[in-house]
Amino acid sequence: MKRRFSPAFTAQLGLTLAVCGFLIVPVVQSVVAGLTENFMVGVKSGLTLRWFVKVWGLYRETIALSILIGLACLACALLLGVPAAYAMVKRQNRLTRLFEELLVTPLAVPGLAIALALIVHYGAFTAFRRSWAFILAGHVIFTLPFMVRSVIAIMHAIRLKDLEEGAASLGAGFGRRFVQIVIPNAVPGILAGALMVFTLSIGEFNLTWMLHTPQTKTLPVGLADSYASMRLEIGSAYTIVFFLMIIPLLVAMQWVAKPRPRTFVMEAIAPATALPDRRAVFPPAADRSDEPVTGSGTALRLQGCAKTFADGTRALEPFDLSVEAGETVVILGPSGCGKTTLLRIIAGLESPDPGGRVYFGGEDVTEVPIERRNVGMVFQSYALFPNMTVAENIAYGLKVRGVDTARRNRRVSQMLEMMKIGELRNRPIDQLSGGQKQRVALARAIAIRPRVLLLDEPLTALDAKLRDALRVEIDGLLRSLGITAIYVTHDQAEAMALGDRIVVMNIARVAQVGTPREIYFAPRTRFVAEFIGTINRLKGRVQGDRLILPGGSLPLLGRVRGPADGEIELFFRPEHARLVDPGQGGLPATVAASFFMGDRTRLLLEGAAEGGLTIETAGNRCFRKGQRVEVVVDPDALLRLDA
Amino acid sequence: MENRNTLLLTAMFTPALVVFTAFFLLPLARLAVESSLGPSGVGIYIAAITTPRYLETLGYTVFLSAGVTLVTLVVSGVSGVFLARNEFRGRSLLVSLLTFPLAFPGVVVGFMIILLAGRQGLIGDITGCLFGAKVVLAYSMTGLFLGYLYFSIPRTITTLMASAEKMDRSLEEAARSLGASPWRVTRDVLIPALVPGLISSGAICFATSMGAFGTAFTLATHIDVLPIVIYTEFTLMANIAMAAALSIFLGAITWAALSVARAVAGNTVAAAG
Repeated sequence: MKRRFSPAFTAQLGLTLAVCGFLIVPVVQSVVAGLTENFMVGVKSGLTLRWFVKVWGLYRETIALSILIGLACLACALLLGVPAAYAMVKRQNRLTRLFEELLVTPLAVPGLAIALALIVHYGAFTAFRRSWAFILAGHVIFTLPFMVRSVIAIMHAIRLKDLEEGAASLGAGFGRRFVQIVIPNAVPGILAGALMVFTLSIGEFNLTWMLHTPQTKTLPVGLADSYASMRLEIGSAYTIVFFLMIIPLLVAMQWVAKPRPRTFVMEAIAPATALPDRRAVFPPAADRSDEPVTGSGTALRLQGCAKTFADGTRALEPFDLSVEAGETVVILGPSGCGKTTLLRIIAGLESPDPGGRVYFGGEDVTEVPIERRNVGMVFQSYALFPNMTVAENIAYGLKVRGVDTARRNRRVSQMLEMMKIGELRNRPIDQLSGGQKQRVALARAIAIRPRVLLLDEPLTALDAKLRDALRVEIDGLLRSLGITAIYVTHDQAEAMALGDRIVVMNIARVAQVGTPREIYFAPRTRFVAEFIGTINRLKGRVQGDRLILPGGSLPLLGRVRGPADGEIELFFRPEHARLVDPGQGGLPATVAASFFMGDRTRLLLEGAAEGGLTIETAGNRCFRKGQRVEVVVDPDALLRLDA
Repeated sequence: MENRNTLLLTAMFTPALVVFTAFFLLPLARLAVESSLGPSGVGIYIAAITTPRYLETLGYTVFLSAGVTLVTLVVSGVSGVFLARNEFRGRSLLVSLLTFPLAFPGVVVGFMIILLAGRQGLIGDITGCLFGAKVVLAYSMTGLFLGYLYFSIPRTITTLMASAEKMDRSLEEAARSLGASPWRVTRDVLIPALVPGLISSGAICFATSMGAFGTAFTLATHIDVLPIVIYTEFTLMANIAMAAALSIFLGAITWAALSVARAVAGNTVAAAG
């Protein structure tokens, strides 16, 4: 790099080195002084360790007390701070926000003032005042904010909400989630906070000087004493002891803060043959005797489920839906249409507004929380637990259900084999590619033999080619398992390929429910027609059995005949039009643009209808801009749609 | 179920709240009450800001803290960005050395300044050799200034390094692709991106300097800073009301500095996002 030697680089390096010298030279001086016989004379007076012996004799109790208070303070900060931080992240209400504000104030109020306040308030309790617990109280107040903030930061960083919902969908209750998911994944933040708390407590002076008594002197208090009254050499030796105590803590802090190198995982695109292994799904009779792959799917019914959020937003209008056992229903709609809310109501992550009911089979599960609904859920972010391996993730739901180890292992093997990821068994989650994570997430959700499998945009995070491969795979899986599945997506191709039925949603309402073919060929509204595929609009007048357009006319069949002389709008799909040679009675148009797509050519035509037309022809034909063509539309395929 | 979780969360949150209230909120409230129980009642606050000695001290402390903050921000800003941007041999050692004093209590910082600029200090020795007269800075305003710099720089460098690392490098590259010179890039892209970090670490630096007690205590200078005055009022004069009043003043100033910074930096962050 050239700029390494530029004047700017040199100047910045020079300044940094100067600052470093300013900070480190006195440290070196103190180390030298602590080891020298007589600092006034210099190193030539000889090196010695006798000052350390002196320090040990005079001050060992202060060192012990500092460590004791540091550890006690750490224990308090952990016990008070970690649960409080979790509660503050989980419950954002006025009280927790106020407390978050308040927690910062000990950083703003000087230690001296806090100490004075403690003395004024508790000075009369002499037993307390004279014990080291008095110093401890000050240290806890001073260090607690650091612990809480460190833990809050990590909890925001690890997508705690997703992980917890994942655990809940597998049946884990509140306590189990906290112990098995929240704490293990927050460890780096807790560790960083713990080191900070301990280091701060060991070195705290401002508060401690006011709070200490002759019987309760900590290390920094002793340091102050030694600086004030002793020889420079003893003060220096004592300072070296302090350095030796904090160096390991600082090294540990740097180690914790260092970002771990992430293993880069190549995305291996599954070959088309990598369909789920049906033999694994339906293993030979011998080994499937007591272990069917899934429980039989359950019928699902929603009745009048609406959802209004606390801020008054209507996320979902009252909604009814019946899903048969074993059926795959795809909820399709643009982002923000309420489809995820609907899925979360089915899952039990949200409850519907009063009056709405959710039934699994005959059972009303509206009041049942997700951890007891026995649903399998695949999250958009996968929500795989980073603190567990692939096998542990898959086994988690079974562990929660108290399945014994042998059966759990057998089930995990079965799942790994079915998803063709046997070699990933003991991998940590952060060493998986997106596609592999997706398979693990599916395996984890299916392993518990859910009554309903819920998939929330499971393929959105993957790239196009992998998405196609996995779509085929999921389709095979759902068919062979015969499981009831609700699949949420905004991708119409996914919806068409996977759904037995599709529920098209638009702005909190159902736009249409039907089979993929019904939705495509007989859309009920313009929204549905335009959301699924491309549609053309012809605006004209009906005259006899022809539709009169500005550029020409088209034949109509009787059923779409509108009011005489009335304006009418008709729609058709691009593939229902074809080009004819000029003079054969087609609608004249001009090529505005042509897109070669390999198997076909897509043409944008102008002049034939208001807004232009999009039609498709064979891939081997060439068109140039401005070319005159004539279009004929299949009269059978003309649709009338509500706005 | 939802209600049970709320209950459990409240239970997790309560112990911290209780301890915090018992050992921080109540004592502080008591301190405020105590300040007005002296012979002059609430008038003590007027006495605190009209007595020349206290006013002078307050002025010194604010002036010192503001100066230290300014110098710290410039020095740490340059070094922090430099260290975040460049990879070279010895970089991590340099960072370790720069952050080592992070954990020093104020007394140790004071001692470091005595070693550096005291009667037997390095600067004295060097100037003694060169000019025949020992320069002793440690016990003057300069000594305090050096001491405050000593504990402020490591903290500020770490925060500013972190915010420089978070910066989007493509912004700079975009500016350069549009023809901006390195100086213009610094002025138009780099510094604006650092502003929230500069404001918040500057505010923390100012607040810490205002409340620093150990350093001044060890250096035992002739110049009184506010924390030392509070300490002497309390321990030597037993003037508890005045000590309490001055503590509340000090707390109010540092708290205000931090709140203003948070409001300003917060808004900047929101606008940038």
